[in-house]
Amino acid sequence: MSLYEILGTLETGFIFGIVALGAYLTFQILDFPDLTVEGSFPLGAAVAATLMVNAGWNPWIATLAAGLAGFCAGYMTALLNVRFNILHILAGILLAISLYSINLRIMSGPNKPLLQVDSVFTAFEGFGLPGYIINPIFLGIIVIVIKLILDAFLATGWGISMRAAGANPAMAEANGVNVGNMKLYGVGFANALTGIAGALFAQIFGAADAYMGIGVIIVGLASVIVGMSIMPSRTIILATFACLVGAVLYRLAVAVALNADFLGFQASDVQLVTAVLVAVALIAQQSGSVFQIIRKGAKK
Amino acid sequence: MINLSEIHVTFNKGTPLETCALRGVDLSVPKGQFLTIIGSNGAGKSTCLNVIAGLAKVEVGHVKVDGQDVTAWPVFKRSKMLSRVFQDPKMGTCEDLTILENFALAHGRTKPRGFRFAVGPNMREEAAERLKVLGLGLENRLGDKVGLLSGGQRQAVSLLMAATGDTKVLLLDEHTAALDPKTADFVLELTKQIVDELKLTAVMVTHSMAQALHTGERTVMFHRGKIVFDAQGAERDKMEVSDLLELFKREQGEELADDSLLLG
Repeated sequence: MSLYEILGTLETGFIFGIVALGAYLTFQILDFPDLTVEGSFPLGAAVAATLMVNAGWNPWIATLAAGLAGFCAGYMTALLNVRFNILHILAGILLAISLYSINLRIMSGPNKPLLQVDSVFTAFEGFGLPGYIINPIFLGIIVIVIKLILDAFLATGWGISMRAAGANPAMAEANGVNVGNMKLYGVGFANALTGIAGALFAQIFGAADAYMGIGVIIVGLASVIVGMSIMPSRTIILATFACLVGAVLYRLAVAVALNADFLGFQASDVQLVTAVLVAVALIAQQSGSVFQIIRKGAKK
Repeated sequence: MINLSEIHVTFNKGTPLETCALRGVDLSVPKGQFLTIIGSNGAGKSTCLNVIAGLAKVEVGHVKVDGQDVTAWPVFKRSKMLSRVFQDPKMGTCEDLTILENFALAHGRTKPRGFRFAVGPNMREEAAERLKVLGLGLENRLGDKVGLLSGGQRQAVSLLMAATGDTKVLLLDEHTAALDPKTADFVLELTKQIVDELKLTAVMVTHSMAQALHTGERTVMFHRGKIVFDAQGAERDKMEVSDLLELFKREQGEELADDSLLLG
């Protein structure tokens, strides 16, 4: 792999790191397997792209608007689950497929190219470094900032309520936590992150596409699982860091697999490689961390 | 403090599994009273506690706590006034949170939670002070996840948590049943101490007749979803476990007599 490819991998790794933080919040903290992200990722892209191209919005505000749109999507999923008792997975699927149509409406078509509009990355062009170097740095900073905000949030009164709501709902209720509301806001917030990730992804690749959400859920989940199995962490601060490491490593693994000629993979095999990676990581998790497995192997 | 009037609770209504858990329960617990509830399995004692806590849906009747009709209130809203200790030590505390965070969570029951950090120096001091009373050395393990503690330790912590804030009513659902005898005694003593100190109104469900008679100041017995016996004061002081057993047998006997009438 060339430096260019590695930096490109970091770029997407960081963007999916944001998705992974959302997946961590829903899957790990709230114990709410949320499939909405398949729709909220392209939703964020569609909203940001349309606002920037059609309405001439500032890219930063458009990206935040994408986060807001994502929040609404996640909130709807949790609402179907909390208020109407629809199974959480099914609620997420319902939102994801309806968002597919909604995204087509928003963009008035299957995609929206971002030609000749300023993106959030334009602001860094003057720094004298080429985009393929400055963009990963910028995204790295963004994802770290989001991680720190999430860490801080999870240590607040609201944050520990949310953690208790996921880990022990009966106890949380007995201690005055409105578990339903925690799910509404938590899943909403996770999808806001996904929406922002979608918006950034569209700006990096120069277009929003209705199909860009396919497999996002598994990427987010894979990042969390890979991260957790490589570095099982006791504290939130380390766990969220593990998610980011997982996201980058996961992208690297996929890039290496697709780049290695001797394996004979094509670009279109990416979803298969992803699924195999996740399955392997899950199996590895059951038999301890990757380090433990290597240690065990070494002893033999 | 607690007023139950004409409470009826039916589980699985309209299905073949329909069961009447409570049929017309009237119970009034004055402020500061420590009430114990006994009864056989399925007598309705736990359901009664769940009715007060808001977990069981009341079909007919009203629940009042501190003068307010809370019949329609969800669990989390009632928890401003009521705190609970569960039978399962795993239920009363959150194992993914540290001891300190659990305290912070309990603290938020009666006070607004905010976007401020849940765990501050004040919280640390307060929790350490409370935990010191236990003599278990937990005050030095504030940062440990609760999942690392033993069942007895967790139950002691949940008791302390239930007593934080200005809680008014303490609900105890067989909270010593899952512990070994020595730990159970310890937790029970701690319970008495806390209830005394904070002058709480307390309702304790138990399987042990001795525990029911020797704890608190009033005992009621449930049978088939009704209160069949209610004793306090001198009457209760005179009672022995054998008297209760006798009473218990008589209730069962009457039931048999009823059945034989039906069959005869």
